[in-house]
Amino acid sequence: MHGLFRWSRKWWPGVIPLVVLWVIAAWTSTVPLEADLAAKSGAALKDIVLDQTKISADGRDLTLAADAFSEQGRKSALAAVEAVPGVRLVNDETRLVPEAKPFVWAAERDVARVTLSGSAPLPASKGKLLEAAHAAINGVEIVDQMALARGAPQRFDDAALLLLDQVGKLKDGKVTISDRSVSLTGMARDLGGREAIATALRNLPDGFKVAANDVKAPPYIFQAYKDPVALALTLTGYVPDDNVHAAIAQAAEHKFFGEKLVDNLKASLGAPTGFSAAVIPALGALARLSTGTLVVSDREVKLSGDALYEGAAAEIRAGLGKDFPRSFQFKPEISVKPAAAPVDPTVCQQLFSDLLAKGQIRFEQARATLDPDSIALLDRLIEIALRCPTANIEVAGHTDGDGEDGFNQALSEKRAQAVVDYLVRAGLPASRFTAVGYGSTQPIAGNDTDEGKAQNRRIEFLVR
Amino acid sequence: MAYLGLFHWGWLFGSFLLGLGMGWIAVVQRGEGLSKVAARWLAGLAAILVILAVARVVPGRFGYWLDLGLILFAWYLLGCAIGSFLRNWVVSRQPA
Repeated sequence: MHGLFRWSRKWWPGVIPLVVLWVIAAWTSTVPLEADLAAKSGAALKDIVLDQTKISADGRDLTLAADAFSEQGRKSALAAVEAVPGVRLVNDETRLVPEAKPFVWAAERDVARVTLSGSAPLPASKGKLLEAAHAAINGVEIVDQMALARGAPQRFDDAALLLLDQVGKLKDGKVTISDRSVSLTGMARDLGGREAIATALRNLPDGFKVAANDVKAPPYIFQAYKDPVALALTLTGYVPDDNVHAAIAQAAEHKFFGEKLVDNLKASLGAPTGFSAAVIPALGALARLSTGTLVVSDREVKLSGDALYEGAAAEIRAGLGKDFPRSFQFKPEISVKPAAAPVDPTVCQQLFSDLLAKGQIRFEQARATLDPDSIALLDRLIEIALRCPTANIEVAGHTDGDGEDGFNQALSEKRAQAVVDYLVRAGLPASRFTAVGYGSTQPIAGNDTDEGKAQNRRIEFLVR
Repeated sequence: MAYLGLFHWGWLFGSFLLGLGMGWIAVVQRGEGLSKVAARWLAGLAAILVILAVARVVPGRFGYWLDLGLILFAWYLLGCAIGSFLRNWVVSRQPA
């Protein structure tokens, strides 16, 4: 041991090259060492959610600057960096991301772009939202103005993703989440968009509620045009579903006669409630016009055209709105078709026969109550009767061969009388008409088929 | 320290070899070497530097350089000690 002390006093000359070695080592190793420590620290932080992470190394000392999303996350980030081998000291420049109260997030769509603004809880959810926005809204620029903040409600991501899907259904508008309440404004892209959005909003995560849904939809339009020249009834626009479609087509067939039905209707969501309850009576009124257009736009029913005579015009103006569901507005623009030139009684007879060959006056089964679907036909008969004011007309009722003769006789008389009553109510003088019933005594076809029976049940107008 | 050892094993090995050589020479070198007082001063200085390093007082790069210097010095001393022992052993085995 003594020797070691003795020898050590002679070790000092080696210190001079050692110092040279030290200087060279320090000169060459400092920067790689700093880079190595920074890289290892970065790797250690990989699984910890941080924003704006900056690691700088000064020798073996690290400075960690980052925004953490919880106190626990902040502490574990520091601990992870301190545990990196070789790190001597860690300067803590971390901070917590500010807390947003209320936590507001919004997506606004206009013609050119979709802007995401407000707060997002984590960088990952921000990325997810941007990705979802690109997926939901094709071909539109996505502008990210979101800042990160703490204080998001639970399942915020799910709610925001669901709302982004709804933004895809808007032409323009804005969706907002404020804490747990959701509000939407704007205009839906498609007719049924408003309903589709309302349905989707039912899937919002628990705890979220819709504070306001002011999404509007383009007007729901149904149009019918009665063209007297082409003898066509053209239906365009939308109906809620196939059942309503069929009901409307059937009603058109019953109420119109002689007109070809051109059906261009399409099924779409978004119809106002009571749609068919308004459209079907309105079609009945259109049938009574010589030419006319029916436009149902949302809850507004506009009927314009020419009635065949003044009484019909007044009846349509006053009566139709009453048949509609309450929320519907009726805007009649009914004028009266100029009276046609008077004609000879023989021409009148010809006109009556031609018309009744196209359509029959119908009644309720086994009763003498006029079927409302026959009103259009009656209007046309009245118009003809007005053209030959001097002619006296026999209104003849016939039944088919079913049932007892007495009953049929009485029924045919009552039905003929019901028609005469209608004509008189429309303003024609009662003295011009005689109601006669023939029961089943004058069949024009065999009573052994349904078709034949239908032909035999008839009202005839005979000019006397 | 283990990290520095791994990262700088080449330099450390160099200083160890330097120490081994110096220790080998020191045994047979003539002359007095450092005086006792100077050796004490140097030992004191080394102790202070070690305390500074352990207490992590010196910041940033200077702190790293201090650590590096001390660890090189430690391996140098180890090399010296082993070198001297070996030389002494070799010398004492030779017949006078």
